[in-house]
Amino acid sequence: METRRRLVRAGSVLAVPILWFLLTRLGIVAGLPTPTAVASSFLEEFYRQDFWLSVARSTVRVLVSFVVAAAVAIPLGLLIGRYTVFADLTFPALEMLRPIPPIAWIPFTILVLPASELSIMFITFLGAFFPILLNTIQGARGVEVEFSRAAQSLGAGSFQTFRHVIYPSALPAIHAGMIVGMGLAWVNLIAGEMVAGGTGLGFLTWSAYTSGSYPTIIVGIITIGVLGALSSALVRLFANWQIGWREVESA
Amino acid sequence: MSNQTQTTREPTMEGEPTPEKTGAIDIENLTKVYDPEGERVVAVDDMDLQIGAEEFVALLGPSGCGKSTVMNCIAGYLEPTEGEVLVDGNRVSGPDPKRGVVFQDNRLFPWKTIQENVEFGPQMNDGVEEGRARSILDEMGLDGFEDAYPSGLSGGMQQRAELARLLANDPDIMLMDEPFSALDALTKEIMQKKLIEVWERDNRTVLFITHDVEEAILLADRVVVMTARPGQVKDVIDVDLDRPRDPEVVTTDRFTELRERALSVIREEAQRALEQEEGEV
Repeated sequence: METRRRLVRAGSVLAVPILWFLLTRLGIVAGLPTPTAVASSFLEEFYRQDFWLSVARSTVRVLVSFVVAAAVAIPLGLLIGRYTVFADLTFPALEMLRPIPPIAWIPFTILVLPASELSIMFITFLGAFFPILLNTIQGARGVEVEFSRAAQSLGAGSFQTFRHVIYPSALPAIHAGMIVGMGLAWVNLIAGEMVAGGTGLGFLTWSAYTSGSYPTIIVGIITIGVLGALSSALVRLFANWQIGWREVESA
Repeated sequence: MSNQTQTTREPTMEGEPTPEKTGAIDIENLTKVYDPEGERVVAVDDMDLQIGAEEFVALLGPSGCGKSTVMNCIAGYLEPTEGEVLVDGNRVSGPDPKRGVVFQDNRLFPWKTIQENVEFGPQMNDGVEEGRARSILDEMGLDGFEDAYPSGLSGGMQQRAELARLLANDPDIMLMDEPFSALDALTKEIMQKKLIEVWERDNRTVLFITHDVEEAILLADRVVVMTARPGQVKDVIDVDLDRPRDPEVVTTDRFTELRERALSVIREEAQRALEQEEGEV
């Protein structure tokens, strides 16, 4: 990337604390902690084991749920995208479940699942699952028929066509779904941790609220933001590695 | 190739059994009707055509006359509405590696390197033979591009790579749907030469679809001219020009005669197609 663009991008990140500083200085938002107060709270948290435990807990929950979601949604999406019968059997039911807000699942899952850990993971899974599923379906449907025909005329059976043509051809769409899914996994995770409680960054932020520790709330928010951005970067890195034959949009 | 008849079933010590020519295509009463939302479109109507094993036939006709439909039926991509396509006496019921296809805009897999593309066919069938892809690529003038992706190649090179991918599979029949129509004149000439070279050496049947009259006559043993939709055989022109044909052959009287004959048929059909369209509007 050229230097100019790097500078502009750095400016975009730096603008946030500057605006924030101005807001607190001018007293526009009452009760908003100053950047310095948050910074010192950050330092405090930095040396607390509890904080790092929360970070680790949340990260593991997101990664595990995300990987499981991808492992289920990608094959399912490819099958739905390619086989009308399979689509008719499964897709209407999935479309009915999709609009249910993740938090609505929590009371039910806490009652039904043996551990609140599982119910948090479940709604995190849902966050990643649907975007990956829908994009995979779209990707599988968009495969140009002549690619499959070429493969068949070269001797590929239906499984081989799936593996060598349908799947790689759908990959850019699958990756788009993974990037969106990773974001929603974090959204759902934090909601789940706030409601189900116990551990994690969502819980940390929520308990800071109940104890009235304003700077710690902001520390929680920033940490979630940073981890979310890192996870998205990880997905992009993976996508670029997986399809080296094609540049992935980085914007 | 000897023509001695075999009397014993077992191959004798003296000589190997004469390999029978393969790749004969027999199109019988082929009719293909497309039926999108109840609107019947007859693409091909009761077409008959025999293509001999190892023959080079060009299929010529105005656009939209059903050339590609015929090819798709031979390739096994489409099921005929009526009639059938036989290859060496067997009814075509689906795609087969013995019938290779070259698409108009090549269909190299963009996610595979050139070498992986060329090895795809063997990988799906008898297994990859070490060094074979490389030697085919060398022959096609693509040495040094084994590890490149298709997007890194020019249009002419992509088309050569697709031809290489086809040859790696050693098909009896090559079905080519306007394979050179997107290439510039010079590249086109090189590709035509290459194709004839390969065809003369390997004894394959070629069905070459084109709308370019000169290209059809330059390459083929026979030029089959199709009618406007619904497609039928309008005329079959035997091209009695000696091989090898160099590009100068187009200036000979015989070539001109053949071209005029083909052109007059085409014009007639193009005119009919135009009137048909006007009638529909």
